[in-house]
Amino acid sequence: MSANSDKDFHLEQGGASDDSIQQVHAQLQKQKPDKANGYSFLPLGILGLMCTAVFFGSIYLAHYSIRFDPLVVNEHAKREKPGAVVATAVPPAVLGKKVFSNICATCHQATGLGVPGVYPPLAGSEWAQGDEERIIRIVLLGLNGPITVEGKEFNNVMAPLGAALKDDQIANALTYVRQEWGNKAPEVKAETVSRIRAELGARTAPWTAAELLKIGH
Amino acid sequence: MNSTDNNARTEQMEIDASAKWPVLVFFGSAILWLIAGGALQLIASIQLHTPSFLAGCAWTTYGRVAPAAQNALIYGWGMNAAFAFGLWLMARLSATTLRHGGWLFVAAKFWNIGVTLGLLGILGRFSTSFELLEMPRFVTLILLAGYAMIGVWAVTTFSIRNTENVYASQWYLFGAAFWFPWLYAIAQIMLLKAPVRGVLQPVVNAWYVHGLYGLWFIPVALAAAYYFLPKILGKPIANYYLAALAFWWLVGTTAFAGGSRLIGAPVPVWISTLGAVANFLLVVPVVVIALNLFGTLSGRYSALQSSITLRFIFVSILGFVLASAFNLALSMRGFAQVVQFTLMTDLRDWLIFYACFSTAMFGAAYFILPRLTGKEWRSTILVKTHFFTTALGVVLLTAGLAAAGWQQGHLLNDATVPFGDITKVLTFWFTFRSIGLIVLLIGHLAFLINFVWIACPLNSRGTPLASFHQPPDLSLPNPAKAATEGHA
Repeated sequence: MSANSDKDFHLEQGGASDDSIQQVHAQLQKQKPDKANGYSFLPLGILGLMCTAVFFGSIYLAHYSIRFDPLVVNEHAKREKPGAVVATAVPPAVLGKKVFSNICATCHQATGLGVPGVYPPLAGSEWAQGDEERIIRIVLLGLNGPITVEGKEFNNVMAPLGAALKDDQIANALTYVRQEWGNKAPEVKAETVSRIRAELGARTAPWTAAELLKIGH
Repeated sequence: MNSTDNNARTEQMEIDASAKWPVLVFFGSAILWLIAGGALQLIASIQLHTPSFLAGCAWTTYGRVAPAAQNALIYGWGMNAAFAFGLWLMARLSATTLRHGGWLFVAAKFWNIGVTLGLLGILGRFSTSFELLEMPRFVTLILLAGYAMIGVWAVTTFSIRNTENVYASQWYLFGAAFWFPWLYAIAQIMLLKAPVRGVLQPVVNAWYVHGLYGLWFIPVALAAAYYFLPKILGKPIANYYLAALAFWWLVGTTAFAGGSRLIGAPVPVWISTLGAVANFLLVVPVVVIALNLFGTLSGRYSALQSSITLRFIFVSILGFVLASAFNLALSMRGFAQVVQFTLMTDLRDWLIFYACFSTAMFGAAYFILPRLTGKEWRSTILVKTHFFTTALGVVLLTAGLAAAGWQQGHLLNDATVPFGDITKVLTFWFTFRSIGLIVLLIGHLAFLINFVWIACPLNSRGTPLASFHQPPDLSLPNPAKAATEGHA
């Protein structure tokens, strides 16, 4: 029922009085129209929209406001506060130094030179810089009996450390040994240690130098 | 039936009678500015594809004509039309006459003299460098003095209202009456009186420009939409209980949205980020308002055929939704990277000002003026011409400027394309825009002729008198009936 029946557009007739528009809407504002049955989806939908808008708006604001810094004009600038402590990755050799000083240095010495005639040296050692397959096995199960290092004979026992140290500790310590005191050998990965540990299976007997020389090259 | 009988049946006759001359003066000045501003805008547009056009005289060079056109449209047409519509609706909804209308004449004189001087200042090389604040400084006080009276009249009319209840249109009008002087005064002080330094100037300017569109023109357009839909359809606003939420949310976020104009500019990045977030939050009120307004229209689209006001209001609502979507898109950094500083940014403001606001004022004028003058619109053809040119112009310019801005943005971002080539490509689009503006101007002339026939005492003698029916009372929707229908 439109108030205007003509299509000449000569004038517009009102379809409702101003007074009734105000009264009806004042009532509509106070209570939303009752649903005879069921639940009205609309208020819930609007609430969801409000929450979504505020949620994503806040994240965007926090992300691209760069601490509300008046001097930053680029939204991709670093978001950390100047001088904030930032976690950086420590090289494995540095981590390994701690393990070495606590455990290995007891016999091999902090200088890596060992004790002549008793404990073999690591600095410059062909074993330490050689195949990682051998030295990982030594650390895991220990070593028993004669061994030649840098042309000198040693005959002693090295304790197994496989139970005491985790794979990454062993890898880090070995990496330290292979890159300290002028040693130049590639890093040892924790994954290699895990693999060899798994390969050992139930073996607990310490290695002999002769056995090790058959492994790797 | 004689005219006295007709008028006796006119709804709220005393109010319309009290508002007659102030509103007619404001509407009349508005339409003259609409024509003048449109002509200036056309000259500026032509100069972009035919640079030699009117280039001989300093007063008509692009750098002066373009801001003059924008100021004539915004402060001449836009503000005057908003005053006319706002004062009338405020009086109607407050059920009280517009008292001491003579002072509003004075206010209208102040305002229009201020705008005239401001435009002459711009054309005569005294413009400032701030968008929408180009008028020379001395004009500011004249405009503020003129506005003070108009604003005070709107607010006093509201405060002596004879109604128990306050309707949504009144929230928007009452709010806008305060927001404009707030925005204008602060922008004037911070940019021209005691200028802030350096990078803060574009920030304040962006805040003002965005505020003027978002907190003055949009609220006035929404006031029209909220009023005329139930008024003409005889049907309450759908889901009206959500309207208050939309109002407060819209007001609270729009004031922060200005920074989104500065995406990519060398200002503190949090300002543009805050603007983008505000535009994102504006999705909520836009959805609610669209539910309110389209929900009311739903099922009654056939009424658009017989009501010119509804047609314009329908275009205005579409323009509002489109402009809001555009604002949001331009806040997205990826999109802004392409289209910032192209024709697309012009389109955003034009959508708000023309597609949303101006069409709402046209619709309002077609409803109000017969009530004030007691006469009918004389020429159906001119009314139809006005509507179809407006609709066609809106479609043409929206599609054209969007495509042009997209192409321009991609070309500007491509370092291998010389700038001269971009200008050549854009010549087509600038010509296209001139054609669109001519189409709109034809409609405005049609509107002017009809206005003269209905409102000018000398020329309106031949116009037939109007006869209004007393409109029926609006009734509450019947939930029980709706539920039964749902089951059937």
